[in-house]
Amino acid sequence: MSNVAGKAYGMNVLTPLRWWTALWQKLIFWVVVKTFPYFLKGLLTLSLIHYARWTIINRWSFPRLDKSQPKEKLSYSYMLFESNFNGSWDQYIDSFSFAIPSGLDMFWRWNIKYPKSIPLHDFYNYIRFNQIESGHYYNAYPLAAANDVKTAQKLFTNLGTFQQNIANLNDEEFLQAYQQFLADNQHSLGSMGESPLMSASHELVQEHQHANIMMARAAGKQEA
Amino acid sequence: MANTFGNSYGLTTLCPLINGVHDEQSSYDKITRRRIQRLEEDAGSPFARIPNTYFARLFILNDVFFQQGNDVARDHLKSKYLVFTSNFHGELEPYLTGMWNNAEADIRSLWQYAVAFDKVQNADDFVAYIKKCQLTTTLFFNGSNDVALKEQLKALYVKQAFSEFALAHQGQDATALRTAFNNFMAEIKLDDLNQPSWTPGQTRLQNMY
Repeated sequence: MSNVAGKAYGMNVLTPLRWWTALWQKLIFWVVVKTFPYFLKGLLTLSLIHYARWTIINRWSFPRLDKSQPKEKLSYSYMLFESNFNGSWDQYIDSFSFAIPSGLDMFWRWNIKYPKSIPLHDFYNYIRFNQIESGHYYNAYPLAAANDVKTAQKLFTNLGTFQQNIANLNDEEFLQAYQQFLADNQHSLGSMGESPLMSASHELVQEHQHANIMMARAAGKQEA
Repeated sequence: MANTFGNSYGLTTLCPLINGVHDEQSSYDKITRRRIQRLEEDAGSPFARIPNTYFARLFILNDVFFQQGNDVARDHLKSKYLVFTSNFHGELEPYLTGMWNNAEADIRSLWQYAVAFDKVQNADDFVAYIKKCQLTTTLFFNGSNDVALKEQLKALYVKQAFSEFALAHQGQDATALRTAFNNFMAEIKLDDLNQPSWTPGQTRLQNMY
């Protein structure tokens, strides 16, 4: 399993909801999308999130690709939540619960046995119980946090503009402009790098992964 | 309802695995799980070769969870599913075509025991296959950027390099600073997204100063 890739944690949570409330839930999400950014404002304040998504799987819509595949007969529809965020599992759940408790309740309110986001302990247990570990998790920029990605883009654009603007300045004027540029872009500066290990279990996972990869290399191919 | 958010795409797929056992030894889902777990990580991951992949993941959905209690029905899946999800820049078809063209061997290995995958012979088949497994994302939230990955990686490289430059050149006089700045800008080549830059999945920094 591998829920961690550099500074990012990948979470998967699958929860049941009654088929008719799933339709209501879809309507709520549709309203959220249409009224954005009001409802998602809380999510935006959680700047640790790269991407998150909610996918409602109707009980009749699990993919069936061939007649040989048995048809699913389910009582419930299901909601798959996935997130890519910076930090540890605990930090994320805490942040979610404290920053947007009403938003969480809106997203999960009709899920079976959802305990509400406060008190935190029950919410912790609910997420933990319904979480699925990833087998492989890939992050294109493991050294960077979500805020690094956003600020890097700003700095990249601003530096290009700055380079054009200083072309006709003398050295003293350049120095002043440079210092002003640093002040204006101070929130976009900062060294990135490897994140510390988030937990002892993560260290253990890394050891297992290393062993798995060594076995695969020794086998010369990825065959069972 | 919302597979896209700006130029970023949230792909969610559930690919059913064949029920049964291979050579009377391991079930197909176990073989697939083992193959997933043996993939190289970070820059060695097959996804590092697939253009414009921000994040991707693979896992096996064995079953759904029983929520405990006499008032709750007990559901069970009749198939296990290979779950593949990806966040990427751009349109779905070119992305999946790029995936096939850059990681065909890994795809064939990972999806070998997926139902009806034996009919997949080329990139077009693969695109069609994944579309059959695709679920529409109900709500997709992008808290990051939606620019092309090359641009993001270049911006991250520039952020790191310029932060180091600013730190290393504090207190210099105007003439020396300007010379150093001009040299720095020539070295980082803002207009060239290919190099110098970060590579997908890169886990080590090469400090400039």
